Amino acid sequence: MTKWNKHSISYLHDALVKKQVTPLELVEDCIKGIQADDCNSFEALAFEEARKAAEQIGEIKEDEYLKGIPFLAKDNYSTKGIETTASSNILNGYVPLFDATAISKLKRAGMIMVAKTTMDELAMGGTGTSGHKGPTLNPYDHERIVGGSSCGSASSTALGIAPLALGSDTGDSVRKPASYSATVGFKPTWGRISRFGLFPFAPSLDTIAYFTRNVLDASYVLTALAGKDSKDMSSSSRKKEHYQDYVINKRSLKKIGYFKAVNDAIEDERLKSKYHELLDKLKDHGYEVVCYEYPVDLLNALYPTYMIISCAESTSNNANLDGIRFGPIAEGNPKTYEEYMKACRTKGFSDLIKRRFVIGSFSLLSQNQFEMFSRAQKARRLIVDNMNKFFDGLDYLILPASYSKPKKIKELSTAWSTKPDFLDNILGLGNFGGFPSITLPLMFEDGLPFGINITGRTFEDGYVLGMAKEIEEITGLKDLVKGDK
Amino acid sequence: MEFEPVIGIEIHVELKTKSKMFSSAPCSFGEKPNSETTYYDLAFPGVMPVVNKEAVAYGIKVITALNMTLDKTLYFDRKNYFYPDLPKGYQITQQFRPIGKDGYVIIYVNGEEKRIGVEQAHLEEDTAKQIHLSDISLLNFNRCGTPLIEIVSLPQMHSGIEAMKYVEAIREIVTYLGVSDGKMENGSLRCDINISLREKGTEKLGTKCECKNLNTIQNIKAAVDYEIKRQTEILNNGGEVEQETRRYDEGLKKTVLMRKKTDAIDYKYFREPNIVPIDLDDGFIYDAIHSMNKLPNQYRKDLRRVGLGDYEIEELLKDREFVLFFVDCLTLGVKNPRTLWSILMVDILGYLNKNDLTISQSHLKKKDLVTLVDLLNDKKINSRQGKDILATMLEEGKSPESIIKEKGYVQVSDDDFINEIVGKVLEANAQSIADWKRGKDRALGYLVGQAMKLSQGKINPSLAKEKILNRIGPCGKQE
Repeated sequence: MTKWNKHSISYLHDALVKKQVTPLELVEDCIKGIQADDCNSFEALAFEEARKAAEQIGEIKEDEYLKGIPFLAKDNYSTKGIETTASSNILNGYVPLFDATAISKLKRAGMIMVAKTTMDELAMGGTGTSGHKGPTLNPYDHERIVGGSSCGSASSTALGIAPLALGSDTGDSVRKPASYSATVGFKPTWGRISRFGLFPFAPSLDTIAYFTRNVLDASYVLTALAGKDSKDMSSSSRKKEHYQDYVINKRSLKKIGYFKAVNDAIEDERLKSKYHELLDKLKDHGYEVVCYEYPVDLLNALYPTYMIISCAESTSNNANLDGIRFGPIAEGNPKTYEEYMKACRTKGFSDLIKRRFVIGSFSLLSQNQFEMFSRAQKARRLIVDNMNKFFDGLDYLILPASYSKPKKIKELSTAWSTKPDFLDNILGLGNFGGFPSITLPLMFEDGLPFGINITGRTFEDGYVLGMAKEIEEITGLKDLVKGDK
Repeated sequence: MEFEPVIGIEIHVELKTKSKMFSSAPCSFGEKPNSETTYYDLAFPGVMPVVNKEAVAYGIKVITALNMTLDKTLYFDRKNYFYPDLPKGYQITQQFRPIGKDGYVIIYVNGEEKRIGVEQAHLEEDTAKQIHLSDISLLNFNRCGTPLIEIVSLPQMHSGIEAMKYVEAIREIVTYLGVSDGKMENGSLRCDINISLREKGTEKLGTKCECKNLNTIQNIKAAVDYEIKRQTEILNNGGEVEQETRRYDEGLKKTVLMRKKTDAIDYKYFREPNIVPIDLDDGFIYDAIHSMNKLPNQYRKDLRRVGLGDYEIEELLKDREFVLFFVDCLTLGVKNPRTLWSILMVDILGYLNKNDLTISQSHLKKKDLVTLVDLLNDKKINSRQGKDILATMLEEGKSPESIIKEKGYVQVSDDDFINEIVGKVLEANAQSIADWKRGKDRALGYLVGQAMKLSQGKINPSLAKEKILNRIGPCGKQE
């Protein structure tokens, strides 16, 4: 257990300003936590770089909220000089020449990156078990998954190793593991944060997202990360805000909706009653809570739509991984470029990844494109149009972030379910429309966490944080660290 | 059976922007291999495309010059395939919404004007260059990401000469606009030509062959003519043309098979997710259009109006610098454009070529050239003096007036002076006059030569000749 990093950013900031601790001591404390990790949370370590960075930090002023504080980053962020593999063998030994914009922004804010975290291979997967280093374990139960794809960031945040871990969210890759690890997982609006340097999975859905242990910390981090980046044309030029003001002043909007179909489908009675208990308390706090009938056929379309769009985009985005310019070179003695690429890609990708590539390629082939990819795009538009209709009258969608306990690792199956449950894929709504969406702890059941999720209108990130703060106060669940009192 | 060839052409034009289509690496030609690249060009994980504004402005100029309709919202798509020269594994192009559509180009074939339809033009990025050696293949990523505009014609050409004129017209337009150096030999302008035959009088298109590797304008005509002959022979022998990609072999003067259509790749196009649609600003479009250079066909009209013939016009148009120089001289009020043309295109061009200079590198000033041409036109100097003066102008950059002064060239059409010289010459050459009168016509030339010599070349020889004739009468006529 760390002494310092189990605390929040605001706590550490206070201690740094008061000179109760130095950045270097925070880094050493974080390193101790990393060395004690028993969940398989880490890829490359950057201890020396972190110590050096900590030593160079001078005076910390009161408005330098993030300065001197350690953080961790999922292994799909390009980090200059630090091996970055996206937990895939095809990138073993790849040392990037540049920092992702999110990384450099945090560095410029004075934060110190100490290590890279494990993930599902190339961010494709939701279990945190498909990376080249094997499964990442749930700190609350080592037999269970912590969820993915940002598994190492979720587990390390829950373990109190650092108060911030960057992840990325394409379907629910931060918000689902946050639910399984009793952390706060925030996916801001698509375009609010530059994705430059994030290894792409499906760019139209990919969002920079991250784990903290309370809502206020999440707001400070967004203030540091938001903004237009000339290197990412999809980053928004909208004015960035001081998002912490929404949290500190509890600025929120008043109309909350929940989906009738989701409510009806919840099987876990304890979850259902806790969910309603929260909705009732929100009513007591003056919020209007409305049961909304979102079309069920569109909820059922979430999974196939997501799979086709994300696989199609991913097959293209990962076509650069051919072993020619970086990554391990081909074994055997390939004679042609086709043989060379085939050798690298056959060895470098796991079967799960290949399956996704095949699905993606298949749905883009000219004879299939109309029936698969174009249809998925149309379905996506319908899904988003209906969400926008929802937001015409209501300010927030409130959903449980997970509907059952995290699965046991040995019970996982890689077979594809023929009858997907929309509850498993519901958080993808936030990615389809680029909506800001946050998960925070709701309850524990048999010692295992469940999260609650709030989604708002695009670029109303501040109001989503403000609402989350309200809920955090209602549940009283914040700054949770596994094993801490 | 009589066949009608049907030809459509795709032209890739490299745009000479300062940086690449989607990255900040400089565009260059001939730099050290792999020195002009960024992370984007090498497709490191996490890089993202940023659209080059200058390339878009160039695109707007091209489609305006080709009379096309501009799509005011820019969309980009991915064309997916694996190839070592394509580091991302896809090329960003405009498959579904090209920047320009439905235009045309005017070409002149055997003095006749013909309009060739242009279906569309789209922006995209170039690939890397591969060099295959005996035991190894090398990749040079400098070219990778260079902006291209691909111009797709309608299948509205029917002969080798039309195809050649079309490519020439496009090349002229892009070089006149200044958006490309349009050098086929360097690959900055590349053509793929689709050729098919159909029975004359029918509408349905026959099976086409695509022809590549045409690196000179002349090869286009040669390849098309060859391909028409080849396909005609196949059809006349009762065979069928197969859909193929063929390559023009300059040595063999033939097209040779590269691959059959069955090997065609499915490019799995889809919208580029990292570039949200870009609404072009009206001011940006206005600026691009209003900073366009004048186009060759506009010059053709202007030059015809001042009295140049087709040959003179076409020669002049071969180099935009000469056209600009010529037109500026017209603006300065030169009296005889044809004299200007011959001095510019014979004497000055000869001098520049000999010294390996461009016109802007030489000392020549437009004002001085106009003065020189006018002096000649007004017969104030003779052509030999003109050449002398021009040579000094080119070498030293002096004005004709100061050269005339230095060399002591006087006003040559001064009647009294000429009469005086002629008088002296005739006095001293009684024998020649006698020869002349006996019918020896060479005597006249001799007398004029003597007059020139005596005047130190200052007098106008035709005036001198006129005056001598007045005095000595017709040849061979005894008094």
